[in-house]
Amino acid sequence: MNTQYKINKLDTSGVGPLVDRHWRELREAKEKGMKIAWCAGPMFVYAYATPNIASHFMAGYAAYCGGRGMADEVLEAAERYGELRDTCSYHRLHTGMAAMIMNDWPVSNPQVLLPMPDLLIGGRFCTEMSHYMEAIHRRFGIKAVTIEIPSARSREDLPRLEKFLTDQVKETLIPAIEEVSGSKFDEENMRSILRPWKETCIIRNKCWEFFKLKPSPWTLWDYGVSIAPVFYAMGKPESLEYYNNLLKQLEERTEKNIPAVHPDGEKYRLYWDGWLPWSFLGKFIRMMIPYGAIPIAGRYPWEFFPHPEDINTEADDIIHEWIRLIYTSPNTLSYHDGPWGGQEHIEDLIQTYSIDGMLFFSSNSKYRKKIRHTRDCH
Amino acid sequence: MEEIMKQFVEYPSDPYTSIAKWKENTKKKVIGIFPMWIPEEIIHAAGMLPVVMWRSNEAITWGYAHVPPYNCAINKSVVDDAVKGKLKFMDGMVFLRQCLQSQEVPFIVENNRPPAFEEYLYLPPIYHGDKASKDFTRDEFKRLRKRLEEFGGEKITDEKLNESIKLYNKNRSLLRKLYDLRKENPGILRGRDVLRIVWSSMLMPKEEHNKLLESLLSEMEKNGYKTAKGKKVFLSGCLCIHPQLELLDMIEDLGMLVVDDDIYVGYRYFANDAEITDDPIGALMERHFIKTPVDPARGEVEVNWGKELIGKVKKLNADGIITLLTKYCPPHLCYYPDIKVELANAGIPEVLIEVEHEVISLESIKTRLQSFREMIGGR
Repeated sequence: MNTQYKINKLDTSGVGPLVDRHWRELREAKEKGMKIAWCAGPMFVYAYATPNIASHFMAGYAAYCGGRGMADEVLEAAERYGELRDTCSYHRLHTGMAAMIMNDWPVSNPQVLLPMPDLLIGGRFCTEMSHYMEAIHRRFGIKAVTIEIPSARSREDLPRLEKFLTDQVKETLIPAIEEVSGSKFDEENMRSILRPWKETCIIRNKCWEFFKLKPSPWTLWDYGVSIAPVFYAMGKPESLEYYNNLLKQLEERTEKNIPAVHPDGEKYRLYWDGWLPWSFLGKFIRMMIPYGAIPIAGRYPWEFFPHPEDINTEADDIIHEWIRLIYTSPNTLSYHDGPWGGQEHIEDLIQTYSIDGMLFFSSNSKYRKKIRHTRDCH
Repeated sequence: MEEIMKQFVEYPSDPYTSIAKWKENTKKKVIGIFPMWIPEEIIHAAGMLPVVMWRSNEAITWGYAHVPPYNCAINKSVVDDAVKGKLKFMDGMVFLRQCLQSQEVPFIVENNRPPAFEEYLYLPPIYHGDKASKDFTRDEFKRLRKRLEEFGGEKITDEKLNESIKLYNKNRSLLRKLYDLRKENPGILRGRDVLRIVWSSMLMPKEEHNKLLESLLSEMEKNGYKTAKGKKVFLSGCLCIHPQLELLDMIEDLGMLVVDDDIYVGYRYFANDAEITDDPIGALMERHFIKTPVDPARGEVEVNWGKELIGKVKKLNADGIITLLTKYCPPHLCYYPDIKVELANAGIPEVLIEVEHEVISLESIKTRLQSFREMIGGR
């Protein structure tokens, strides 16, 4: 008899109010006299650490629009402006939203209209990110600072790439933030955010450990929807509270043998490569679950500060310390994110999480991580 | 003239055979470089032949095992050629971080058909022209120089490098002269010939190319500059690849004449010289940071491609712009809407044509170009 599999999602409802609060505060920031920074890539932390700057982490906007059922409407606005469909969807979402504001076009849910920024911070981890900074800059004349963050080809390259990024940040980014904020960059404030953030990420990683269990008490999708607090509530007590609650649920499920897939756990454990399809998480899981398959691990959701233990929040040069986390820290993010280290990383995830199959998700409108890690099969 | 053109055409007609033959005859090393910013002069100064990698002459097949169909033409094509072993005559390859797709090509090549020499340059964008980016670029060029010295067993002195820069500057200056002649005498050469002249410069030794160019320019002068009649158009875009020759023929057959361009296998390739100084690596680095012609892959926040095009079209008194957009090229895709708006605001007619690696629907392009031709002033 065929098993009827059924998904048993973890309770991640706590993330909604937390994220809503972030967006509400962002919308209210201008009225409070704060400056706004739109940031793409990991350099957002410097704006985030500046008290009178409210930061919008741009990669989160797709999930935000998707969650409010507004993605199509915003994308249509982008096309109406002239954007081409092959362009990255993150680009089109921001340029679509900007076009709505610029042209005063009607919008079904005004919550998707964010305050226009005083500063654009583009981290070219993904080169596409720089393109939406440039487009917004061209259309609105907003100051744009774009920082090159190359993925390393080899571990030998890491020290010089780290120096290059540090030099760019200190020479270009920090002065721009100081100019826009009107105050000197406060390193102690950055430390005060990173301390609780580190604690939060450590708890989050304890949750991630549960993916090693067979059957797994949760899926990569549960993790995916829980990704927001490390960005949107960085350094805030509620983010720690959220992950503590998640950890408690996972411990309880483990203790009571409650798997993420009813009745007896997953049949197939999948590795998911590429970004998470924020607007279609439900659709995808409904396609997988009849086969007893669930996503368990992936590079993309793991890339957001995977090793908080590597950062010294008391470092004298805290500006550099954040960059060290990306490059020469023991678990270098930059190397694992690129194609060379990516292959090693995938192999490691497959072993560690007992993966049965791989699913490479790459769409033609979101360009990152789309190569297939194949060797010559001919 | 016909004889000279034949020689220009030889390399682009079959780069694989022509370059392999050159290698066999000279016993020198060939280094393939990925478009668009790698300084060929350093490779030339090492006594090797740098050749710019090209869009191949056949449909992508094996390459699709490694890259999705929605990668751009040059990425798909180089991967396909490499995994099929069609590039095995190359002793080395130099890649760069130019866009998201290009940074992944060397990884695939290494995993499948690694050349004897391979280098990957992290060349940064040029946004702020900051000291950090300039110092880093200089170090990248120095690293390439050192690696080539190790590979070739020959020291690349500043003198040698300056000699190479001079040779390449001369080539660029001759190509610019040819382009100036075309601006003054529209239709002086067919579009397909101009393209193949520039493309051959990317494939053959500059010493030979310079001689051919000098002969061509002298022949043209001797014969008198014969012009043709037609609507003057500017060709823009087409980053990294050469457009189909049939497309250029079609433009002319419809009564339009390309008077200038900013395409890669065109003006973009030879626009900027490097200075001759005591610090040739520094000179190459400074050239990397020149902001015009605007390069969307290299980043811009201070100059504007749309405005640059308006200036050029007005100066040439051209009737319109034909944009060639390499399909799935994010830098151009993301920039294009703003160019379109700028041109529309300036009242400059423009048409967008997408170019791909292999099949492009010439009939549908013809319809679009016919409409464009009517728009800029009927037949």
